[in-house]
Amino acid sequence: MLKSVRKERLVWLDIMITLVTLELMSYFYYGIRSLVLAGICIAFGFAADLLSLRLMGRKFTADDLTCTSDALMLSLMFPAVIDFKIAGIAVVFATVVAKNLFGGRRNMIFQPAAAAYVFVLTSWGRQLLQFTEPHVKTGVFEKPDVLVNSASHSFNMTGVFKHTDFEILLGNFSGAPGTVSILLLSVAAVVLMFRKSISAGAFLGTIFGTGFFALLTPMVSQRGASLKYSLVTNMVLFAAIYIVSDLRIAPKRNYYAFFYGLFIGVFSYVLVLTGAKENAIVIVSVLFTPVALGFKNLEKKIDTAANEYENTAASTGNKTGEGEISVE
Amino acid sequence: MFLINDLIALLAANLILSQALGTSTLFIAAGSRKNLVATAGVITLFTTIGSAASFFIDLAVPSSVSDLRLLFYTLVIAFLYVALLIIVYKFGSRWFEDMRKYIHVSAFNCAVMGTLFTINKRADADSALSGFGGYVSAGFEAGIGFVIAAIILTAAYRKLNSRKVPAAFRGFPAMLVYLGIISMAVYSLK
Amino acid sequence: MNNRKKLLFGGVLGDNIVLSGLMVISPVIICGDTLKNAEALIYAFSAITFLSVLISSFVPRKLPYTAKIIIYAVISSLVYIPVRLAASEFYPESIERIGIYYPLLAVNSLIVFQTEAKFYRMKKADMIISLLSCILGFDLVMLITGFLRELFAYGTINSKIVDINTVINGLAQPFGGFIFLGLMCGVYRYIRGMVSKNNNEVRSGTDVSDK
Repeated sequence: MLKSVRKERLVWLDIMITLVTLELMSYFYYGIRSLVLAGICIAFGFAADLLSLRLMGRKFTADDLTCTSDALMLSLMFPAVIDFKIAGIAVVFATVVAKNLFGGRRNMIFQPAAAAYVFVLTSWGRQLLQFTEPHVKTGVFEKPDVLVNSASHSFNMTGVFKHTDFEILLGNFSGAPGTVSILLLSVAAVVLMFRKSISAGAFLGTIFGTGFFALLTPMVSQRGASLKYSLVTNMVLFAAIYIVSDLRIAPKRNYYAFFYGLFIGVFSYVLVLTGAKENAIVIVSVLFTPVALGFKNLEKKIDTAANEYENTAASTGNKTGEGEISVE
Repeated sequence: MFLINDLIALLAANLILSQALGTSTLFIAAGSRKNLVATAGVITLFTTIGSAASFFIDLAVPSSVSDLRLLFYTLVIAFLYVALLIIVYKFGSRWFEDMRKYIHVSAFNCAVMGTLFTINKRADADSALSGFGGYVSAGFEAGIGFVIAAIILTAAYRKLNSRKVPAAFRGFPAMLVYLGIISMAVYSLK
Repeated sequence: MNNRKKLLFGGVLGDNIVLSGLMVISPVIICGDTLKNAEALIYAFSAITFLSVLISSFVPRKLPYTAKIIIYAVISSLVYIPVRLAASEFYPESIERIGIYYPLLAVNSLIVFQTEAKFYRMKKADMIISLLSCILGFDLVMLITGFLRELFAYGTINSKIVDINTVINGLAQPFGGFIFLGLMCGVYRYIRGMVSKNNNEVRSGTDVSDK
């Protein structure tokens, strides 16, 4: 029990460390506004969690700090110039509606950041999908002069990605600040997988599903380019690490988690390919929540059956043992 | 690939997720596997056969007296309701007691009546759907949509009714919010 | 008298058909996004339900259950016709917007199933009070939903612009209806739980003082 509690906190810490590095990169490209946005999101997430837990008659413990990582995740998926009010509403939605209403971290159904992202997408889609160019640093309360579509959007619509590999690795292209730093995300993925802070099965499944379909039915003429761009655009890497592979949501066994991730990867790739749906992976991950729950139910049944089998075997063994003794 | 697109189209056209038709019945269906199979089966029967019958009603009833459509649809469903009860009683009297309640629940509800009206509306808007085949397939699709929505809810049923959910939200309120979030994801795919 | 009071408030607060019984929720979810829609739905629901249940109460009790259900449905389908014709005079725009949910009100579970399970087991006067209370309960939920959703989704109240600078468009969509109704159900249950807890406390307090 103690071990599992400790593990939960360590997972939060690992996730936070990687998210903070992404936030620093975001600060480098978008300036102070990005930091303020993250701060507002974390403050709102913390306050909403504290208040709703109190209403539920529960105490706020260190394990409940996951609300801050969810909030930070969300802020990294937003453009740095998004209206602070929208960000605040989204974080409250993530914490209260998508998480605590269902019982909080002990009974997670949706990945809070993903649900809140879809919520913002349906209500403020234009604000969510318009960005400033990297290195355009707006003040905290200033409005930017020029907003552009993300590089993912341009790629989805035209099949052209006008950035060098070096720029891609460093995240020097327009898009949600935390989701474009491919090098950092790759390192984060490896670290989190080795530290077992994300579901390796779900992560690999998502990457494999997206990659396999990118090779099978390429988006652009060259299969290599299709593979590369399908993984670096549309938040695929970010979502594969922090949303699909979230240990609270993904099936526990890597075998099932792999298939869960695989389905998400394939579905989102097809949606991008056929409908040019930007950041489809986040939407699909919410839509596939019942699949994750189904796998989890299956796991529970298997565990129960295994326990029953062990108990029966043990009791049969005991009886046999007694029998042997009596024979002697 | 086409299969995935079809599945997404089926989700987007789902009468529960997009029009909230038959939500209360869905909550009953998702309660157990037996409820799910029986209710979904009976509802699919009602929507499919009902749609076939409504094709002839729509042909016969002129648009000037379209307010009478509800009455005719009600009569069709009433006929199906009685027929199904008789058939189950005659040929499956062993299951009659069990099946009876599902037939009662499935006959007059928004899932079935709503399907008939929705198909009529779609047929008015799109002539490709106004044939007999279009009506029947749309009715069957609506039934399948109900099954999908019921499966989606069944997957989370235990968690939504768990003691960990705050008492005020346990059960129906949590189910509504859960369906709302799934419906939101489906909506954002459009 | 006390019983009558209970019946009167029961359907509104204690056992609301929408928030507690989850009946007639499709129109609330889909069409309850403006006050005008809410008004039109309130009119239709109140008229159809009241008249249908009242007329249906004359159906002989001895008929088989299935026959009675069918007769109730047919009666409400007939009542729907004049109500609909009158509505097209008063709410022509809303009728268009409400679309298929208008006729669906006629086959709502309050008429088709609750009549048999609840209303017809009461005396006529009690039945009417209880029915009115149930209708009022629906009307109240519809009004609150229409008002709040219109305010936050469109930034208007009864089509008049209000100074709200961040509107949540999604609240006007079906998913917004689902989430809003879910939250409303939860809040209703929370308040009901608190009230009944207080009542119990008061009652137990009285008991002690009586001793």
